[in-house]
Amino acid sequence: MDETVAEFIKRTILKIPLNELTTILKAWDFLSENQLQTVNFRQRKESVVQHLIHLCEEKRASLNDAALLDIICEDVDLFDMKQFKNSFKKILQRALKNVTVSFRETEENAVWIRIAWGTQYTKPNQYKPTYVVYYSQTPYAFKSSSTLRRNTPLLGQALTIASKHHQIVKMDLRSRYLDSLKAIVFKQYNQTFETHNSTTPLQERSLGLDINMDSRIIHENIVEKERVQRITQETFGDYPQPQLEFAQYKLETKFKSDLNGSILAEREEPLRCLIKFSSPHLLEALKSLAPAGIADAPLSPLLTCIPNKRKNYFKIRDK
Amino acid sequence: MDSYNVPESTPSASSRPEDYSVGATPLQKRLESIRKQTSFIPTPPRRKVPQCSQLQEDVDPQKVAFLLHKQWTLYSLTPLYKFSYSNLKEYSRLLNAFIVAEKQKGLAVEVGEDFDIKVIFSTLLGMKGTQRDPEAFLVQILSKSQLPSENREGKVLWTGWFCCVFGDSLLETVSEDFTCLPLFLANGAESNTAIIGTWFQKTFDCYFSPLTINAFNLSWMAAMWTACKVDHYVATTEFLWSVPCSPQSLDISYAIHPEDAKALWDSIHKTPGEVTQEEVDLFMDCLYSHFHRHFKIHLSATRLVRVSTSVASAHTDGKIKILCHKYLIGVLAYLTELAVFQIE
Repeated sequence: MDETVAEFIKRTILKIPLNELTTILKAWDFLSENQLQTVNFRQRKESVVQHLIHLCEEKRASLNDAALLDIICEDVDLFDMKQFKNSFKKILQRALKNVTVSFRETEENAVWIRIAWGTQYTKPNQYKPTYVVYYSQTPYAFKSSSTLRRNTPLLGQALTIASKHHQIVKMDLRSRYLDSLKAIVFKQYNQTFETHNSTTPLQERSLGLDINMDSRIIHENIVEKERVQRITQETFGDYPQPQLEFAQYKLETKFKSDLNGSILAEREEPLRCLIKFSSPHLLEALKSLAPAGIADAPLSPLLTCIPNKRKNYFKIRDK
Repeated sequence: MDSYNVPESTPSASSRPEDYSVGATPLQKRLESIRKQTSFIPTPPRRKVPQCSQLQEDVDPQKVAFLLHKQWTLYSLTPLYKFSYSNLKEYSRLLNAFIVAEKQKGLAVEVGEDFDIKVIFSTLLGMKGTQRDPEAFLVQILSKSQLPSENREGKVLWTGWFCCVFGDSLLETVSEDFTCLPLFLANGAESNTAIIGTWFQKTFDCYFSPLTINAFNLSWMAAMWTACKVDHYVATTEFLWSVPCSPQSLDISYAIHPEDAKALWDSIHKTPGEVTQEEVDLFMDCLYSHFHRHFKIHLSATRLVRVSTSVASAHTDGKIKILCHKYLIGVLAYLTELAVFQIE
């Protein structure tokens, strides 16, 4: 075995934490079962590594084999579906004696989990299950809202531990449409239109103006309408928007009036407001506001940032 | 000092609403139609802030509690011909028979409906603005209890009440034979409302008409109810707008902490005891401008559909819920005014 290959393998193995070593070596599938059995993994790491290098030499590891080991190490997730399912189920069952957990794997490395919740003393309620979709190659999971609130922390814990992450954080993003949530979270909503030709002249889109109007008014309107159309297109793009039903803003901002400076001028406290936008298709509705004259263009960044920030629940305070 | 001739009418570019209709933007068209709507309403430029009416002393608190926290559908009602408060028992009997007959005809069949019902007419003392206002009365349909030994009074299935609070302008126009109770509120199944309405129309030659509340009046209600002093707030102050965008509808709900709404109102309010048109407009404009500052959306170009405060909440379809007994009369006074306007 080449000196450089030996050195490379040694450094790669040194980087692997001891508790993952056997898993990775098994996945590498270069050293045989028999060979691995001869290794005492409880020694000091340096000794383990030396023994492994010796075994690699016996088998004449090539640069390709070393490279393969490197790739396997890089794939940190090294997701083991069976282990995830076992771990997840065990955690829930240990906490609540009565719980029904079922799994279904789909393409795109997604696993659908159904959990029916019971307690120490009652059977699981099969009519109020919680559904979770976990995308194993990503740090994201989607949970249905039909859960009994008290089980949410336990569910979070089970997901975190079983998937070998450190913590779980709830995102401020909710919708009825899983595909839309995926589109926003994985930023997939504009991929199909990357090559759109944006040089189409705006006049081609019908503006519906009456020809009999005063020509000066026509000109002013066209310029403004074109500006609005352009800005709307820049903000939202030409593609269909992901489907969300609502956005909620908790505002705690001071009142500043351009109408009459004296109103609430002495008041230090902000106005506490809760604003909720609801629509069968919120983003499409927001997109149509500026062209309809109901909103200014550009629309407020509080609204246009929803897909980018992947949030539809906001808390806004004065800076 | 030079005197100069000011031309009488300065020709200005399209200042009249009609000039906007040609090639107007959707926003301009909407503003024009709103202007047309409001120009017909002879609203007083000022109204009294609702106060506790002294007549409320004789009101039965149990009956009042029954009227609060319920959703009522509003109608305006033309004066009743030859209605008499001494015949209430007779009316109960007649209406009862009518309802049973109608239901047996299959005109308003509801599956599983119990035909064992009882109709009760009763007066609502003290539910009026001045002594001139006729006494309010209540009509209720109760289900007769199956077991005679148990509580005789069954469950209330439907309630309607007829009232008149400060209805002077209408009272002055009618003769002795008529009883003016222009405001009618109903709670319960729509089918029952229809049957009872038919009986009243036949018996007293009157006419019911659904009472809708337009955005203009909703704004007034929001301002007036915010102006009322409330001991403790039971509900947040909330507005609901419906945005006329296509193809998807959009609803915007704007809730503001009641203390903050009151602070805003107090900062605007000038004349104690009275609310003026300017104050209402300024109150709404402040809310619009605060919203616009954050979202760049002009709420004034959308349709106000619902307002909700700790005093009461009202929906443009003519639905009302009264939460505060202190201002019950005040709320009814405004609604009576709207009903009277619709009749005239």
